[in-house]
Amino acid sequence: MIEGGVVIDFHGHPGRWGLTESSPENLLHSMDAIGVDYSVLFNIWHPEGRRGNDNTAAMVVAHPDRLIGFAYVSPLMPETMLPELTRAIDELKLSGIKLYPPFTGINLNEPPWDPIYEFANERGLVVIWHTGIEAAAWPKFVGDVAPRFPKAIFVCGHSGNCPPMRAQAIEVAQNNANVYLETCSTFRSPGAIEELVNGAGADRVLYGSDVPLMDHRPQVGKIVTADISDEAKRLVLGENARRLLKLP
Amino acid sequence: MTSLNFTAAVPVIDANVGVGHKNKHPAPFDSPEELMAEMHRHGVEQALVHHQSGESGSAIEANEHLTAWCRDDNRLMYQWIAGPEADSVKQLQDLRAASKVDNVRLHDCAAAGLPFVDWLYGDLLEWLQAEKIPLWVSMANEWDPTWLSPMPMTPVTEIMETLRKFPDLVTVLVGAHYSHAHFVRPFLKLLPNSYIELSRYEVLADLEKVIAEYGAQRFVYGSFYPRYAVGPMLYYIHNIGLNDADLKEICAGNLEAILKRGEK
Repeated sequence: MIEGGVVIDFHGHPGRWGLTESSPENLLHSMDAIGVDYSVLFNIWHPEGRRGNDNTAAMVVAHPDRLIGFAYVSPLMPETMLPELTRAIDELKLSGIKLYPPFTGINLNEPPWDPIYEFANERGLVVIWHTGIEAAAWPKFVGDVAPRFPKAIFVCGHSGNCPPMRAQAIEVAQNNANVYLETCSTFRSPGAIEELVNGAGADRVLYGSDVPLMDHRPQVGKIVTADISDEAKRLVLGENARRLLKLP
Repeated sequence: MTSLNFTAAVPVIDANVGVGHKNKHPAPFDSPEELMAEMHRHGVEQALVHHQSGESGSAIEANEHLTAWCRDDNRLMYQWIAGPEADSVKQLQDLRAASKVDNVRLHDCAAAGLPFVDWLYGDLLEWLQAEKIPLWVSMANEWDPTWLSPMPMTPVTEIMETLRKFPDLVTVLVGAHYSHAHFVRPFLKLLPNSYIELSRYEVLADLEKVIAEYGAQRFVYGSFYPRYAVGPMLYYIHNIGLNDADLKEICAGNLEAILKRGEK
């Protein structure tokens, strides 16, 4: 908890990533040290989805009061996309969808992704992409997708990650009410959080960490030490995510 | 319960701040007063500063710009930049003779397109080692707005293999990142006179572990401002369960001890 609100990390990965590991022990240690109430996790290593989604679900089942799972699928294996999404959401009870365009070489606004977007639109789900400098993941492409699927919620993971892409992400959020911006980034440039909040609005920005690459604490620190109001900090750190994820 | 606001709880000297504008990265401040205002917002009292133009441009000219930029503000401590050229070493030797050098920062070898090898940098490294002057070496890269890509990083193999040939040289390794997670412990183990600067090291749940393994005396706080914001890593260091003594060492004491080793 923070003063007057919850803290929800909207961007994390379960399991091992090289030397680093989002084990339950590491996750809960970091979360508890700084008052993170929930972490959203997704496994992006398996294009068929099943293996990674099972891994995510197992962690959530073990810690249902702290962890929230999102499903992952890839248009590299189009035949598995919808069956696996259906299984992951209906049977595994995962709560949203993560997509990683740089692994596919397919721009996120191209037709192979549409079945996923249609699925999310029909169910009113959250879709979070990796967005950044990679050609398939430019935030401006989100502007082609969001208006076509107005009942889905779209989140630009990393908010584009670097200044020119961050500007694209802000513009897309300004023009589309169903687009949100998530904050985790290894490029912790000064003024980035202020730019997101002032550009897109505090009610459209979501705190994320990218565990296990980055610990919850310095990424929370980006928000806490930003030159924004306390109310904006509460919204970014958790209240916006609570609303999107329909948490109590 | 987490507070929505933060300021440092102990005295802080930032071990890694750049001043001046870079060709592709103008700084968001233009005077010592503006810089210190941002640092004071987070409770940072002093900073070791280099002129950023020397990271990939001329080290000699950057050092000339540094003194003019700082305007004798005693909150800012000089960090001189070194390149491999003989006249760069000569500039530093002259400054040293005037008792103005207690630390040096290597220019960004990768950004300059040079390998960090002893047959290029040996004269500099031998002199620094003989004079007991600590050397800051960056393993970080930077965002290149021209090419929409990250800049190259100095390879860790070059850093390790070159520095191992100068075992008495005190080094501060700057900008270790999650991509360096495999390398931090070998550096600390195989380079016993090295310190890790913490501006970019945020691997999940690892900072407190590596500090417990090697001791708080091997780590220094640096923000890497203005490349990175001042507050987040300082906030992180305050939230890893350090006792007050270790927190003070990492936030200022270790840097003071390193600089003292370099005094003439």
